[in-house]
Amino acid sequence: MNGFYWIASYPKSGNTWLRLLLASLRAGGAPVTLDGPLAAFAPRVGTALNFETHLCVDPTECSTDELANLFPALVAELARIRPEPQFSKVHDAWGLTPSGQPLFPARFTLGSVYVVRDPRDVAVSLAHHHGQDVDQAIAVMARQTAAANSSRCYPGHIEQKIGTWSHHVASWLDSQPPPLLVRYESLRADPRAELARVAAHCGLEAGDHALDGAVAATRFSTLQALEEHTVFDMGQAAGSRFFRQGVAGGWRQSLTATQVASIERDHGAMMARLGYR
Amino acid sequence: MNNAVDFRLCGLRVRSDLALSDLPAWDGDGRPADLTIRLGLVPDRLTDIAAEGGLLQVAVDGHCRFAIPDVAAYLLSPDATTLTVAPAAGATVAEIQAFLFGSVFTMVSLRRGWLPLHACCVRVGGHAVAFAGASGAGKSTLAAGLMSRGFSVLADDQTVVELRPDGGPWVQPSFPRIKLWRDALDRLGQPVDGLARVRRGLEKYSLPVGAAFHDQALPLRHLYLLVRPGDGGPVTPLAALSHLPSLLSYPRLLALLLPQDRLMEQMFRLAGACGGIRLLERPETERQWQDLLDLLQAGAAAS
Repeated sequence: MNGFYWIASYPKSGNTWLRLLLASLRAGGAPVTLDGPLAAFAPRVGTALNFETHLCVDPTECSTDELANLFPALVAELARIRPEPQFSKVHDAWGLTPSGQPLFPARFTLGSVYVVRDPRDVAVSLAHHHGQDVDQAIAVMARQTAAANSSRCYPGHIEQKIGTWSHHVASWLDSQPPPLLVRYESLRADPRAELARVAAHCGLEAGDHALDGAVAATRFSTLQALEEHTVFDMGQAAGSRFFRQGVAGGWRQSLTATQVASIERDHGAMMARLGYR
Repeated sequence: MNNAVDFRLCGLRVRSDLALSDLPAWDGDGRPADLTIRLGLVPDRLTDIAAEGGLLQVAVDGHCRFAIPDVAAYLLSPDATTLTVAPAAGATVAEIQAFLFGSVFTMVSLRRGWLPLHACCVRVGGHAVAFAGASGAGKSTLAAGLMSRGFSVLADDQTVVELRPDGGPWVQPSFPRIKLWRDALDRLGQPVDGLARVRRGLEKYSLPVGAAFHDQALPLRHLYLLVRPGDGGPVTPLAALSHLPSLLSYPRLLALLLPQDRLMEQMFRLAGACGGIRLLERPETERQWQDLLDLLQAGAAAS
């Protein structure tokens, strides 16, 4: 069956962890490494190499809008040439291209999974990731024009329009076909049950042995130990670890009352919709 | 066709309805146009498609259609003498030209039997020397550096090679400009003031080559593959066939437009005529530049 399962989330919300869980599951519960094929599972669509290889254009000479307009064609082409379901990581908000086409065309979407995390924890994790202070991270989460991989830093890569945290969540929750919502907090509490739910949504086999293996292979302590010995460059600030704490509710210890109030003011409506109190 | 102007591109007389700002005007003989670019209708879908991929359709009769949404659709005749361009509503000439000189011109080259190398190319003595590499390998920066050291330039990132039946590979000069990112211009000490952006909104600029453009074909003597410092040794023979695709522009177009056995034959003829393909570390320090200049001079002396 041709098409994509999109593994979507706001940055620092558990996307990489879920992809490692899925990669291990698909390999029967095999151990993961951070430099091997399993860590490359569910790659982004929209790299410079993607455009050059599959659409025969030089993406370093395309404008930001042109690359965005070409994205649905790239998705269609990848779906056309590969007969099996594909998985892809997404940090873009769901939306339309500048010319008004859906960025993630329903025709080539087999399903999507949206991972959401308490924005107060996201702020702490995002600040650590970028080597910023938390106030800067809170400002980024409230910025409508927030984007990643701007063409200046990554020539030829598509710009990922992220927007505010609230906009990001809403864009995916209201997208078609409706995504499976996975909470980071549930993934922490019961990774086995959540992984089984995701697997069922994505048409993946999930036997007991594979589920147990995948959960064991991606325990946070295991991933941290792997990162000790492997360069795992996910764009984090120099010297920062990618797998930091992996806790839910850590914000209670690390945010000031003012910072909490800021986030709740910026994102209160969406937090209420999701039940984050 | 009354407003059409003739330009020179790879030795071809190009007659175009579109003003092609990157190309010099035709100053050669009175021959009829080798390639005519005209505005017209292009069908959404060719009949009897033999192969397709991405934005390209190839018909059984040899027509090729390439289309960039919101920019233009391009239709090339089987003999590569007529290119019909159907601009999308609101598209600018700069946009249409960007893809015309990239993917579409690569199609023209392939249809004419030329091999499009992803390489910059300079004149050394009576010959051409090309430096291939993937995007970001430093081709344009190297071309600009060599130009500032007195070399003439034939191409900055698309080197078109004609394999003549009796005379080996010849490079047809392509565009009289070098496209450089702003940081590369800064490193070269070249001010961006007065330089045109390659595309609106991009920090990539077009540096005119001017009198340093060598506008006549030259035999290709040496072919290098640029690698990052530390990835090779200063100069080592290419030992892995897996490097071959990175010598070529738009490998997917090649796969769709050129039979693989023909590509193999051309690549081996090319490599043979150049005495093999060698990896070259991109020069960065003055010492590395001096080594490269010595290497080019030794090559020129030997030939």
